[in-house]
Amino acid sequence: MRPVVISGVGMVPFERRDEDSLVDMLAAAGLGAMDDAGLGDRPVDAVYVGNMASGLFNHQVSVASALVDRLNLMPAAADRIENGPASGGSAIKNGLLAVASGYHDVVLVVGGEKMREVVGPRATDIVACMTHPTAEYIYGVTLPAMAGMFARLYMDKYGITRKHLAQVSIKNQNNGLLNPYAHIQMKITMEGILTHPQAHINNPVVADPLHLYDCCPVSDGAAAVLLTTTELAKELNKPAVEIAGVGQATDTHTLQERSDPTDLKAVTIAAERAFSMAGIQPGDIDVAELHDAFTILEIAESEHVGFFEKGEGAKALESGETQIDGKLPINPSGGLKARGHPVGATGVAQAVELVWQLRGEAGERQVKDAANGFSLNFGGFGNNVLAFVFRREA
Amino acid sequence: MNTITAYKCTNCSHVMFPRHERCLNCNEREFEEIEPTKKGKLLTYTVVNELPWGIDERGRVIGVVEFENGIRALGLIKSDDPKIGMNLTTDWGVVRVIGGLETYGLTFH
Repeated sequence: MRPVVISGVGMVPFERRDEDSLVDMLAAAGLGAMDDAGLGDRPVDAVYVGNMASGLFNHQVSVASALVDRLNLMPAAADRIENGPASGGSAIKNGLLAVASGYHDVVLVVGGEKMREVVGPRATDIVACMTHPTAEYIYGVTLPAMAGMFARLYMDKYGITRKHLAQVSIKNQNNGLLNPYAHIQMKITMEGILTHPQAHINNPVVADPLHLYDCCPVSDGAAAVLLTTTELAKELNKPAVEIAGVGQATDTHTLQERSDPTDLKAVTIAAERAFSMAGIQPGDIDVAELHDAFTILEIAESEHVGFFEKGEGAKALESGETQIDGKLPINPSGGLKARGHPVGATGVAQAVELVWQLRGEAGERQVKDAANGFSLNFGGFGNNVLAFVFRREA
Repeated sequence: MNTITAYKCTNCSHVMFPRHERCLNCNEREFEEIEPTKKGKLLTYTVVNELPWGIDERGRVIGVVEFENGIRALGLIKSDDPKIGMNLTTDWGVVRVIGGLETYGLTFH
């Protein structure tokens, strides 16, 4: 396999975007990545769109074909790639393999979702369609409910408190204030979401023990990366960032069939595969974007990918180690909690943030001297997970 | 049918629900169909206030129960004071109306 680099990135701010269709957002992000790279009129061989549910949210399918038309990239190959909330990560992986194999030289990967076209309970229902139809969905289970059942066990086992969960939301929303692309631009305090006797008014239970501020918002958005060879990257505008490692792993569809439901095996295995391909260790990572769709997941993932021992993630959080100026900054972008989680866009948005960080273009939220980045895109409830290692070209 | 069907591997006795074409433990393809026992124990649960479209209620308790014969399944917990490890009795009832059709599933009290 030959090395594959990201030569350009693009993104539209995540928010409620009533004026844009899904394909408008995909086109804006895709064009942004092409222009960031300075691709000009050079051909794009393939376009991969990461999207979970345009058919259900927007009554439109074949969105990759629609995108090449908008960007005049015909006759490029075009595919939509679906892997639930890890659709973006899966699209990047497939683009990476296509370039690494030598079959394509230039692949545009765009992730996007337009979720606010439907009302909240509809969005909750559409997202719940990823659960098992007869063993889970019929009971009204939601993704926050899956996370709630997981959180109850994980918190009991490792002594994690609601205060730890609140620390994740406060950290990530503070980081989001430094990210103009983040959906939620609001400072929150421990008093306002946890310790004040009336904090429950601001922060009601969604699926206990998880409250509103433990859950990511429902957002519209799109993000894009342009994948090329190292040779072509030399002709282009921006310093290349190598995708040095990728790993993917799956687990049982339902949580209850895992022998230990607190063990996110697919996260551990995906991360091990990515680190092994990159030839580095978790301790070599300078900045990470984890999939904090729920606050508990940032803590659990930080342990499962090998940054901290099991039970130590909350302590690292508490000591400030995962702040932007800490030893291992996690989610400087604001994460899913603040940036938002337009499901198909997230895996690509994580890559975009790490490219900005590794190029030194992250502005006020820049992590100092970041050379190695890591992202984790968590599909289903941990049943299909992707991990990536990104490296600044020397 | 007034309960779920679970599957016991004829080779290694591993119990599965829902259905798989190959045993999760040994890849065997032959299974004995089994049903949940009347009693089970609550493994984990959540109280859900924000329910999907079509379920007009708050505070629905959803949990995972392990039956005496090893089956584990999700269901509705009809208890105001759920606790991990509590003993529950298995029932069967309407759990959701989907497209106007009453859908039956496991309930526990």
